Amino acid sequence: MHFVLFSRMNWITSLLIWVLATAQASPDQAGNPPLLVTIPAGIYRPLFRGRDDLPEVEVGRFLLEDAPVSNDDFLKFVRARPQWRRSAVRRLFADSGYLRHWIDDLNPGNEPDTLRQPVVNVSWFAAKAYAAWRGRRLPTTAEWEWAASAGFLGPKGTNEVEFKQSIAGWYGTPSPTVLPVVRSGRPNFYGVHDLHGLVWEWTADFNSSLVTGDARGDTGIERQLFCGAGSQGAQDRDNFPAFMRAGFRSSLKASYTLHNLGFRCAADFPSKAAPSP
Amino acid sequence: MLALFSLTLGSEPAAGSEPGDTNSLPPCCRKFLPGGPVTDTSLYLLESRWISDVQTNIRLEVLRGRPQIVAMFFTQCEYACPILVNELRRLESSLPVALKDQVDFLLVSFDTERDDALTLAKFRQTQHLGNTHWTLLTGQPDDVRELAALLGVNYQKDGRGQFSHSNLITVLNREGEVARQFGGLRIPLDDVLKLLETMVPAPR
Repeated sequence: MHFVLFSRMNWITSLLIWVLATAQASPDQAGNPPLLVTIPAGIYRPLFRGRDDLPEVEVGRFLLEDAPVSNDDFLKFVRARPQWRRSAVRRLFADSGYLRHWIDDLNPGNEPDTLRQPVVNVSWFAAKAYAAWRGRRLPTTAEWEWAASAGFLGPKGTNEVEFKQSIAGWYGTPSPTVLPVVRSGRPNFYGVHDLHGLVWEWTADFNSSLVTGDARGDTGIERQLFCGAGSQGAQDRDNFPAFMRAGFRSSLKASYTLHNLGFRCAADFPSKAAPSP
Repeated sequence: MLALFSLTLGSEPAAGSEPGDTNSLPPCCRKFLPGGPVTDTSLYLLESRWISDVQTNIRLEVLRGRPQIVAMFFTQCEYACPILVNELRRLESSLPVALKDQVDFLLVSFDTERDDALTLAKFRQTQHLGNTHWTLLTGQPDDVRELAALLGVNYQKDGRGQFSHSNLITVLNREGEVARQFGGLRIPLDDVLKLLETMVPAPR
């Protein structure tokens, strides 16, 4: 009975969406909002370790959006939360470049692909506020890196030549002036798109990396990034992209906005669905 | 204006006093004197709520009105934090008369699991941090992460439960805006004193 009701509602909703979509913009233009996919538990091996750091960090099962947040998604957010519009945002929470690629507060641009492109020029605070508004959160660095270490065919991308070549190609190329749309990249083993190859992404604890740019020398760990013998403390010396990400994250401040920095949301795995021991 | 300000503080009741070195409450826990709206870059825009060794549910905005010397720390820190706290005490003891009662110190803990009100109170005692000018805070993990992000402090818990962290001392002006930051474990005293003089109303 419930099922019948549900499927009828679904059918009506679909029809409604179709009517709305044909009346306004084609569904292609706005794209689909990101879907949460399950990332199984695993072990993340941080690239840099201090003497006392754990070599492995356990990542519990969690949910991750299959694509970065798009301009269209973010537009809905600023409509609902006026304090995050470009003209209203407090300088403490976003620098002056916030959403600078948009035409105005509620217009991301008029190019055919604009709405489907990943939103960029957003600060960590804005990303966090968006995620909270969606009832989600930002992934931790460990979660992000764990999900991003999967290849196209299996959970360990370093085993796949094609995967390694494809991501090294991106990290070695400057960002294009026109960003591709979200989900234009081949999905990884878990069905997640664009972890590599589109934009850099904020993480909840981006400021946990001690590879500091401005206060070099005040901790012992960042020495491992610099100089010739730099990678001695590193887990995987071949993983150049991971070095780049660690360096990139550590150079960020929470109010920064960059033309190639966006984000995606994550969520806890619902505990009631977890198998009982 | 200044006279009014000090009068208000001076007449503050010594309620809830501890058997510490003074009767007054720490800066975080005095009566809140609302000002106008805070500025666009003030840390006092943060709405997070904090716990001190004296009181709970504290908004940072309550610190408005005096420059704050801010550092992040944790009480079980073995190496850097004792040095940092020492540096702040050294600064306090070198404040000239004109600044003596015009500057506050704020320590915020990374260790949201182990540093609770009781631990902070113990720390205040063992480190001889007077009530009058020292605020010790702890909070929710997300809020600590956010404050650290605003200050530009990076930190991470290591395998022994210690925190690796950047050592950064921040001077907030009376409105809660970052006026200057010093990396490392030494405070350039002359610079800081000169800066503080510009923030405090000149005596008449």
